[in-house]
Amino acid sequence: MAAPSTILRRLRPISARGNLLARTYHSYDHPPPPGPFSTTESTILSASLPHIPSHGFTLTSLSLGAKDAGYIDASTNLFPQGPFALVHYHLLTQRLGLAQKKEVLEADEGIGAKVKKLTWERLMGNKEIVHRWQEALALMAQPSNVPTSLKELAAQSDEIWFLSGDISVDTSWYTKRASLSTIYAATELFMTTDKSPDYIDTREFLDRRFKDVQFVGGVVGSVSQWVGFTASAGLNVLRSKGVRV
Amino acid sequence: MSTSRTLNNAKNNGVHNDPYPNSSHIPRSASEALSRPAPRSKPLTQAQRDFLASALRVNQAGELAATLIYTAQTPVVVASHPHLRPLMKHMYDQEAGHFSTFNSLIAKHRVRPTAMYPVWTIAASALGWGTAIMGREAAMACTEAVETEIGTHYNDQVKWLLGMAEQMEASGEQLGDDIKGLISTIRRIRDEELEHLDHAVENDAKKAVPHELLTSFIRAGCRGAIWVSERV
Ligand SMILES: [Fe+2]
Ligand SMILES: [Fe+2]
Repeated sequence: MAAPSTILRRLRPISARGNLLARTYHSYDHPPPPGPFSTTESTILSASLPHIPSHGFTLTSLSLGAKDAGYIDASTNLFPQGPFALVHYHLLTQRLGLAQKKEVLEADEGIGAKVKKLTWERLMGNKEIVHRWQEALALMAQPSNVPTSLKELAAQSDEIWFLSGDISVDTSWYTKRASLSTIYAATELFMTTDKSPDYIDTREFLDRRFKDVQFVGGVVGSVSQWVGFTASAGLNVLRSKGVRV
Repeated sequence: MSTSRTLNNAKNNGVHNDPYPNSSHIPRSASEALSRPAPRSKPLTQAQRDFLASALRVNQAGELAATLIYTAQTPVVVASHPHLRPLMKHMYDQEAGHFSTFNSLIAKHRVRPTAMYPVWTIAASALGWGTAIMGREAAMACTEAVETEIGTHYNDQVKWLLGMAEQMEASGEQLGDDIKGLISTIRRIRDEELEHLDHAVENDAKKAVPHELLTSFIRAGCRGAIWVSERV
């Protein structure tokens, strides 16, 4: 019988590499690399989700889920990061679920409109657990969990821009993802205190944030032009003014 | 320890009341849903994916720089040597083609573009403009130096990819159209870069003064830029 610590180490999710920007080549000809959770872990986590509305992002939900899935209580030992595994799993499944939002993705609309709708869809993915979300935020803010949380946020913004059909690969690649992450995080926090019917207030809050940034042909474009304001542009401006350089 | 894992065998395979519409299907990685299924081949290794990502990133950055070098050089060079206009345009057009090829590959394979984008933009424009005002020979020496580095760099990539292809075929895996296509794209582009190198030498690149100093300085700069773009 192997020492428990060895087993734990082996079962620990292949933690995504620390680097926030370590997004790597996406292959269409090969199956995707394994995700952060093993099949067993996914089964337990998935069975734990229904317990979150009443028991929160806690070990209680995790062990109730393990029981539902037919594991003994102690199998929560599989999760050295504790209840944060539930948060991570929620973030992961919600992000990957975005690709299934066919009615948004197949609509005949511009990129900006799709980005807004997907962001809204994602926020609505928190509906069932929104009264528990501040617990999740507290777990995400723990130093050891911060890298994974930020990575998930970045990956989610990347997913939304990609699914919306954005193909810009210049400096705006960064500004787009950074501004969407900021907007999303702010709105998600706002939503935890929103008591309005159907989250109208959250909706308005989100619309205002989007207006502030003007994804559609607005400031994001000019921010990136400013960041990328270049010698080349400078040369061309001078040349257009008739300066012979 | 093993009991907790075996207990599950016969029971309950994740059938439960699920408030999350999408979680019963557990995708294992980003946008699995968008991938073409390839059930019989294995996932690419982390090392392979990292290589492909950094190769596409550095190639895009290099071609961006190439288009900007020619953009900056052309008016200056053509003003004193009008007969070079078609050649400059031909080389620029090819670079623009290379650039858009890598732009689409980066977007398609979801690779992060280089974070140094604005820096390369400034550096390449300054290099192009600076060598052009030093005269036709210096401008051509710049092309010579850049294309020598780029040619070698593309050759190394082709070698690496062919090694990967050989390994995968030996273990009965399918390479896939994307990587096959990438190998032939890089080969074609490499040949075009070497053609630019020939044009530069034909146009007296070697007569630039001081030729050695200038080309070794530019080549060192290229190597540094490649090193950074592969990583950042
Ligand atoms: Fe090129
Ligand atoms: Fe070239």
